[in-house]
Amino acid sequence: MKYVPRTPREGINVSKEHPLVEAGTLLLALSAIFIAVTAILIFLVELVVWLVPPDAEARVLSTWTPSDLAPVAADDERAVKTEELLARLASHWTDAPYTFRLRVSDSETPNAMAMPGGLIIVTTGLLDRVDSENELAFVLGHELGHFRNRDHIRHLGRGIAMALLFAVIGSSEGSADFGLLVTDLTFRSFSREQESDADAFGLDIVYEEYGHVNESWRFFYRLIEEEGENSDLLIYLSTHPSSSERSDELKSLARFNVYPLQGSLTELAWQ
Amino acid sequence: MPAHIDQFLNFGLPLLILMIAYFVGSAIERRHFKDIRAREKRQRAFPVVTFETLPEDWQVTSAELIQGNVVISLDYFKRVIAGLRGLIGGRIKTYEPLLDRARREAMLRMIEDARIRGYHAIINVRLETSRLANAGRNGQGTAGVEMLAFGTAVTLARR
Repeated sequence: MKYVPRTPREGINVSKEHPLVEAGTLLLALSAIFIAVTAILIFLVELVVWLVPPDAEARVLSTWTPSDLAPVAADDERAVKTEELLARLASHWTDAPYTFRLRVSDSETPNAMAMPGGLIIVTTGLLDRVDSENELAFVLGHELGHFRNRDHIRHLGRGIAMALLFAVIGSSEGSADFGLLVTDLTFRSFSREQESDADAFGLDIVYEEYGHVNESWRFFYRLIEEEGENSDLLIYLSTHPSSSERSDELKSLARFNVYPLQGSLTELAWQ
Repeated sequence: MPAHIDQFLNFGLPLLILMIAYFVGSAIERRHFKDIRAREKRQRAFPVVTFETLPEDWQVTSAELIQGNVVISLDYFKRVIAGLRGLIGGRIKTYEPLLDRARREAMLRMIEDARIRGYHAIINVRLETSRLANAGRNGQGTAGVEMLAFGTAVTLARR
């Protein structure tokens, strides 16, 4: 028997396609799929928003509070005064379908949320940081704006959609982050517009209450100076327009509506 | 400024790591393949066969179990691409050169050892692979590839 020496042939076991080409194709294809899925989810959420009229939502969920809420005592002075302020502000929205309720959540992170059924949650961290009633009024007015545009349902839908997507793709390593990133980015482009609309509504409310809008949005500025690179704030900022973008927008909106930019500030009721 | 840091942490950093992993990983791979080809050329005259029984005209004077083993790690780029591939299915092309390298390297180590020990051929060569290391958040996934080549090295009275 004769042994014929040969070197192994190349290109049998290794694909000739360049790895970067494969990476690019995969990323493009998957982005397209994720964006399509997200678009369908957004459509479904919009369908729910359209199918459930505000008065039905207000009726069914009028006493609902999230189970994981850690509220401060009901007779807490700041909670009572803030709810009074909310009632005063909400009176400027004459045909509001909701009876607004306010809960103060015991949390250091400054935040405010609009929840289904006319519930607004503000954190103690937020109440600690506002300097004047005007600033707090703008935050509450902004949340009222979310109710008018029914963004709170969209937010909820977005949360559910993200959780669903995560459950489906969370099992395949590495890809989960990418999928969530694309989904999140797609949602964000919608959420920024919602925030700007809510800001505009908040500005109207503040003007009607005080007759001027003396930089009520300054609160957001101060947050950034205070917190710097705090990760909670980063998350907040990334779903909201950037602060300077936001205040520029508000300033020009105030000028457009001829709302006075100067005026005396009202002290917080508990000061 | 925080918004920029946020964006960098979200998109820039993973992308940067991915790029570094790609360039370093493919440089190492290219170098390895070059080395493998050069050594294969040197060892090509050495008979390595898969049959279990000896041809009748071979007169074996000694025999020994001989083996070559290699463990090669994945790079981050390959892992990410394979993870994306895992969503839609298909050939994981980034893993193919990895396995090819492992197989050829294991064979070469086996052959080189046999030559040093003065053997003339290796018969009944087999390849085995195992999942040596796990990686990933949930203990799933692969950190690297292990390849074992083994066979019976023989010295021959008359070649």
